[in-house]
Amino acid sequence: MDHSKQIQDIASKLFAENKIDYFVGYRQNAIDDSQVPYLISDPAEIPRLVFTDRSVFNLANYLKPEHTRRKRVGLVVKGCDSRALNLMLTESQVKRENVYIIGICCEGVLNEKGEKAQNCIECVMPDAVVYDEMIGTPTGKREYIVNADIKELATIALEKRADYFEDIFSNCIRCNACRHSCPLCYCAKCCIDQETSTLYHGANTSSGAMHALMTWSLHLAGRCVDCRNCEKACPSHLPLHLLHKQNESVIYENFQQHLAGMEKDDRGAFYKYSLSDPDDFIL
Amino acid sequence: METEVKEAQGKIISAENPDIVAPADWQPVIMGILCNWCSYAGSDLTGTSRIQYPPNIRIIRVPCSSRVDPWFIIKSLQTTADGVLISGCHPGDCHYISGNYFARRRFLVTKKLLNFVGYHENRVQFSWVSAAEGPKFAKVVAKVTEDIKKLGPLHRYKKENF
Amino acid sequence: MARVGVFVCYCGANIADFIDVPAVVEEAKKIKEVKISVLYKYMCSDPGQGMIRDAIVQNRLTSVVVAACSPRMHEKTFRKALSDAGMNPYMLEVANIREHSSWVHQKDKKAATEKANDLIRMAIAKSIANEQLHEISVPVTKRALVIGGGIAGIQAALDIADARIPVTLVEKSPSIGGRMAQLDETFPTLDCSQCILTPKMVDVASHPYIELIPYSEVIELDGYVGNYKAKIKKKASYVDFSSCTGCGACTQKCPVKVPNEFNMNIDKRKAIYTPFPQAVPNKPVIDATHCTMLLKGKCGICAKVCEKGSINFKMVDEVIEREVGAVVIATGYDLWDPKPYEEYGVGRYKDIITSLEFERMVSASGPTNGVPIRPSDGKVPKNVVFIKCIGSRDEAKGIEYCSKICCMYTAKHAILLHHKVHDSHAYIFYMDIRAAGKGYEEFVKRAQVETAATYLRGRVSKIYKKGDKLMVRGEDAQIGQVVEVEADLVVLATAVIAPKDNPSLARLLGVSYDKYGYMSEAHPKLRPVETAKAGIFLAGCTQAPKDIPDTVAQASACAAKVCGLFAGDTLKKDPMVSTINNEFCSGCQNCVKVCPYQAIVTEEIPLGHGSKELRTVAKINEGVCQGCGSCVAICRSMAINLAGFTDPQIINEIVAI
Repeated sequence: MDHSKQIQDIASKLFAENKIDYFVGYRQNAIDDSQVPYLISDPAEIPRLVFTDRSVFNLANYLKPEHTRRKRVGLVVKGCDSRALNLMLTESQVKRENVYIIGICCEGVLNEKGEKAQNCIECVMPDAVVYDEMIGTPTGKREYIVNADIKELATIALEKRADYFEDIFSNCIRCNACRHSCPLCYCAKCCIDQETSTLYHGANTSSGAMHALMTWSLHLAGRCVDCRNCEKACPSHLPLHLLHKQNESVIYENFQQHLAGMEKDDRGAFYKYSLSDPDDFIL
Repeated sequence: METEVKEAQGKIISAENPDIVAPADWQPVIMGILCNWCSYAGSDLTGTSRIQYPPNIRIIRVPCSSRVDPWFIIKSLQTTADGVLISGCHPGDCHYISGNYFARRRFLVTKKLLNFVGYHENRVQFSWVSAAEGPKFAKVVAKVTEDIKKLGPLHRYKKENF
Repeated sequence: MARVGVFVCYCGANIADFIDVPAVVEEAKKIKEVKISVLYKYMCSDPGQGMIRDAIVQNRLTSVVVAACSPRMHEKTFRKALSDAGMNPYMLEVANIREHSSWVHQKDKKAATEKANDLIRMAIAKSIANEQLHEISVPVTKRALVIGGGIAGIQAALDIADARIPVTLVEKSPSIGGRMAQLDETFPTLDCSQCILTPKMVDVASHPYIELIPYSEVIELDGYVGNYKAKIKKKASYVDFSSCTGCGACTQKCPVKVPNEFNMNIDKRKAIYTPFPQAVPNKPVIDATHCTMLLKGKCGICAKVCEKGSINFKMVDEVIEREVGAVVIATGYDLWDPKPYEEYGVGRYKDIITSLEFERMVSASGPTNGVPIRPSDGKVPKNVVFIKCIGSRDEAKGIEYCSKICCMYTAKHAILLHHKVHDSHAYIFYMDIRAAGKGYEEFVKRAQVETAATYLRGRVSKIYKKGDKLMVRGEDAQIGQVVEVEADLVVLATAVIAPKDNPSLARLLGVSYDKYGYMSEAHPKLRPVETAKAGIFLAGCTQAPKDIPDTVAQASACAAKVCGLFAGDTLKKDPMVSTINNEFCSGCQNCVKVCPYQAIVTEEIPLGHGSKELRTVAKINEGVCQGCGSCVAICRSMAINLAGFTDPQIINEIVAI
């Protein structure tokens, strides 16, 4: 998968037609073969734009409200990124007229070991769901697969699982990189930063981290698109996808196979209900 | 996910942390969060009918089960409570028309997530109790208390008590 | 620093017998914010409230905790005590140590005392986070909307209008009158239904404070108590009511004949019709589903004979808006279709009819001019079998409840049959006779004695045809034997059911309904007239089966409620509503989705101080907000708070023990 040329062409065209002020894509990292997000305003920098299976980051994160309020942005999105973007559009965080979306029919990206990333193996929608221009051949929606890690964790004994997660939570340093890297964590003021919140005075303890990460994952439940930006940003390398995938699987299984951001105007599983939702867990 | 509870002679072993053992007469604290219109009224009816139930529950009144943010549960489990019971109006009976339907979705996901990270599934329970169901409220409290007594004290994430 | 006063109530022996109250009082004193902790026998009594008032002043308290019965019981009482002492009434918290402790842990005084301690600690902690709140006043539009023009709607409209409050009465059929207009005579006095109803119908039409909108439906209701906006769809009648004189020439000449639903389809009406001769307004409408001019573009005879030129085939539905402060729902009832009673031969035997069909037949203005006939051969029946509880009290085929009025109208039918056909005989199969009400038991006696109706206690198992007669086989439980009655006509007292449009109307109005489709009252005993939605009231059978006196009484009660609501220029409202903190709101508008009352809208505010750029934030209409807190729990950035149940208050409660 190498769409660098097409993306460069589109970017040149957009700048030439004065359709955008900025373009957000990827460029090669200087120190290794990874790529980093690349925001340009000068057409002279277009030749540095690339797109390959190393283009891992979710660029929708660069569209938090201020950017599209004034400026017109051209943006490259893969399937998962476009679902996040779709939610941001639905939740009025992005002005549709101010963003030119280049949708990619993604063939999956690689992890740091050079293997196909887990979220790409389990991907339900590789094609961009919202776009102005599409690159590649759409392959359509795939069947939902329950995440391999959570399936495995579900089989081990409760106290072992509790130990495992306590380890994870105690390794969290509360740097909030996960929050900053998430395109859907755009709140004007996060609950963690508010004096009235139980999380405000949270010290860097395993219980504080547990409270924060659980609350965070519940705020993203039914909204998380499994782009794993958070995991890539985490300096402690915590397997943050576990919490999100767990919620996603419960929601998929119980709430009419709901998946975040697949449709326009769908706000996520917690903002609607069905009379036939499961009731058997309630006494 | 398994619901196995370890039994020990004359002692109660914490389900999440087998190193923690409590004496047999250990009493749990259960945080009860009840909606004002059905369950709180139902619990009042239990009182006026003098139906007896275990004294471990501490009750918080909220207007509707949809007011219950999942962090109420997490916070309770991290600080004072060994278990949480949340109760609202039966589906279709919500005083606020649809509050309990939204709440039901959050409850299911929260319950499963807590279980996933290592809380026994019986630590957090939900019920629908109408204003007329005084006897049901007593039964629910008795069941939840019994369940949580079996699970033993909740120790994880409590040591710092931040 | 908060200064809390704790007031523990003995409640006579109710609390003191099962909780060590003095120990509880001492325990509360250990909390540093508690400046005074006292006990009294009856905190809710005058001296008890006096203690609270004095303590507030003497100790300069900032909040008050009363440990007593349920806050659902005396919260208002104590709030008043606080405001009498010059304190904001919402600085009160009630620790429910009676219903939640002393009454439910009567065998374990120690545990009950401990629990009381905890409940008081929680209440103290919450009260420290309490904020001063003030009642909200909202303006009122003094106009009532009455939905349904049966006797319930008529009575409610007249009573409200007599208090000089404008009323808009919306009726879906071409005339008001409802079911009562179809009745012949009414129990228990046998006065003619038309004679007592039609004057009221005329009053409605001529009342200066009533705006009658017939042949129309409410399609939308926005807003909140005191400030509703209703959209009313006026169905196209194809007749200009303002010029039509009601001469009737059009209905006479119309060539299209259609089953007459007013007469239970026993005879025919025309495609242009007034439902019945005394209709109000007495103007015809064109039934668009049958008129050949509207269907095929041919005919137009009515337009030709109309001297006033009132017929307008181009008329379309029109939507009008009315601003109202209160709504009365009076949509009445329907009757259950007895088709599931196959063993009776319902649908196969023409001579099995329903009670309302019988009622239309015995009506002097009915299709048979007041003489009951057999539909099969038009003969006057001699032996008539009435079967009660068709559909009612029948979980297998119908509904579980008792329809309440069938016992009485069946007794009436027995008497009417005797009046109309002197040599007839009525047999009545019944399960029970439920004749509670003024003059009702006497009325049933009259049917049994005066008309010598044979009352047979038991269910009918089968009806079969023998010649031109119907053989009704049933059990007479009193003699324990199977009986067979040879009948000329069988009349089924079918169950009263909710109108099938009730659920959709309820959803549109935002009120709740029960599993049968009846509108739900706010409280079955103490608020039987109100719905849970403020400013919307219930009259008549839309709530449950009722007879005419009960319906009229409830309609008048609705009127009293509406007049009470409109007594002042503003309404006072509980301040427990949600508020948005604009600073934290990111404008995702998910709260708009979960609000059951559409109380949340969006507004544009400057991006920063003095900025010309705008951003969108949510805005709560506090007049509409009912304080459920749905929006609070789903707001990720905690930008919404619910007064009285704020996050800090609940955190305090959780960590207090």
